[in-house]
Amino acid sequence: MALLTLDSVSVAYGSQTILKDLKLDVEKGQLLSLLGPSGCGKTTTLRLIAGFMEAQQGTFRFAGEDYTRRPVNKRNFGIVFQSYALFPHLSVFDNVAFGLRMRKLKDSDIKTRVGRILEVVSLGGFEKRFPKELSGGQRQRVAIARALVIEPDLLLFDEPLSNLDANLRSGMRVEIRRIQQELGITTLYVSHDQEECFSISDRVAVMNKGLIEQIDRPETIFKYPATEFVARFIGFHNFVNFAERAESDGVITLRAGDRLFAAVGNPGTNHPSALKGAIRPDDLVVTAGSEAGPARVGSLPGIVKVSTYLGRSYQYVVETALGPFTANQEMEKPFYSGQSVTLQFPPDKLVLVD
Amino acid sequence: MKKSVLYGLLLPGLLFLGIFMVVPIVLTIGSTFYRGGSLTLSGYAHFFEDSYFNQILLTTVGISLITTLLCVALGFPTAYYISRKKARSKGILLAIAIFPLLTSPIVRSFSWMIILGRKGLINDVIVGLGLAEKPLDILYTPTAIVIGLTHLFLPIMIISLVGVLENIDTDLVQAAQSLGASRLSAFARIVFPLALPGLVIGAVIVFVGSLTAYTTPALLGGKQRVISTFLYQNAMTLNDWFLASVIAVIMIAITFIVVGLMNRATHQFNPKG
Repeated sequence: MALLTLDSVSVAYGSQTILKDLKLDVEKGQLLSLLGPSGCGKTTTLRLIAGFMEAQQGTFRFAGEDYTRRPVNKRNFGIVFQSYALFPHLSVFDNVAFGLRMRKLKDSDIKTRVGRILEVVSLGGFEKRFPKELSGGQRQRVAIARALVIEPDLLLFDEPLSNLDANLRSGMRVEIRRIQQELGITTLYVSHDQEECFSISDRVAVMNKGLIEQIDRPETIFKYPATEFVARFIGFHNFVNFAERAESDGVITLRAGDRLFAAVGNPGTNHPSALKGAIRPDDLVVTAGSEAGPARVGSLPGIVKVSTYLGRSYQYVVETALGPFTANQEMEKPFYSGQSVTLQFPPDKLVLVD
Repeated sequence: MKKSVLYGLLLPGLLFLGIFMVVPIVLTIGSTFYRGGSLTLSGYAHFFEDSYFNQILLTTVGISLITTLLCVALGFPTAYYISRKKARSKGILLAIAIFPLLTSPIVRSFSWMIILGRKGLINDVIVGLGLAEKPLDILYTPTAIVIGLTHLFLPIMIISLVGVLENIDTDLVQAAQSLGASRLSAFARIVFPLALPGLVIGAVIVFVGSLTAYTTPALLGGKQRVISTFLYQNAMTLNDWFLASVIAVIMIAITFIVVGLMNRATHQFNPKG
């Protein structure tokens, strides 16, 4: 049974629905992230689990108990805030010790536990500093230590890396994952950054307008987004609306206009009637010249409209009979605007979405 | 800009303060140690030996302390409520809180005379409800002074508290709660220490203001003297400028002592405040 279960949870402000019949399970020891654009309900979900707000409908069960109306201070969840929320008038030691003092531990125990956790986040020797005297990354680690030292049943991260610069972010990401796995703490992680979520999570839930669009392993979501929204969010810029589909021997043949395309289909996820195809700019292959002879399956002639240099590759916007497509291609000599080209859609890269 | 030019900008203000404040204060202080052509402490000795003077001093300090405590007790919840409001309603509520400051203290004292008098609103209600047989003596007592001064200074306490409270991130309170603190304990350990700088500024202004207030105690205090009215009486009615100066210096000393004590208290609660 799942450690954490949200069952048909709804939240609304006035007439505005924030969460609609949300269902979510998290297994013990897992790191699940909630990914989505701002306003998708991911932060609301986190605040609800933390206890800062209540579900208007539905229940939140944790470790077999009803937590729906349990007060924040009786939940034993560690929370790392986007702003870190370090107490500015307390030293690093007192910040980390706060939760232990609330639990009325003996001073000697507090001292050992704070010391040990500061070692875990590599901040030994910083006990007497004040938050003002720390860098962004150090504050972040104090916030994590403060949440961890109470040995929480659940760890919650609210966009913890958004205030750090790019270099620190990737370092902290690895650090968070290491600590989480080392201590085996069930963790919920909220972010709008897909790279961040994919790199550290066991499972990712992509949210949109108060609903979970897809929840799966990062690799699966990356390769096989289930819906158009998820596909767009994780970088599928090209979409094709097909008119009909036929399936034989595990290969799906699709028709759009007078062109035929093939797709392998998504293992695990079933889209028996999906008629929308999605493909990443990186996966489209651009070749020079419009083809002669009969149309081949999976190819589409077009004309280069815009050509931009991305550093490692060139990006083209190609106008075709099925609309514009964006394609990235690594090459020595770029195509020029106005040149006739042909787009190839590899069957294993063309994904069908709802 | 050159440094000398920057210093030059300070000059007009410094000259004004120097001529009209520092010099008179120094002269006043000096004059209290100099009598009959020789240095002496007799002015102070005389003051502290006289029980009538001592009683006035203690009453004044007592009234100021109680007023300060009342302003804190009444102002803190109000300020906390205002500080948690959105910008728009915060502005409106603050304007309402500050509104009494726009009327003159004299007008306000007269209003209190009408309300607190033997035939005033309060006594009408008390007698009408049968809580007491005869009207209570509220007007012309220290109680009336405390009520008037609290009314006078509460807006200042509220403004100065809202200033610090609105800068306390709600995340801090939530973080404390998530770590196991009850609402009360989150308030005591996080909100209160962080609000102390504003609380101390407010308290100093209220205390010093109450200590030196003249109009309110003069109108509401009746025969009850406080330091400022006593000073006025000595200077203007009795023409004893020496004693008036001694009183003035004692008032300044008390102010400095109180400010120093409060600063030390803040530092203990909030070393990085």
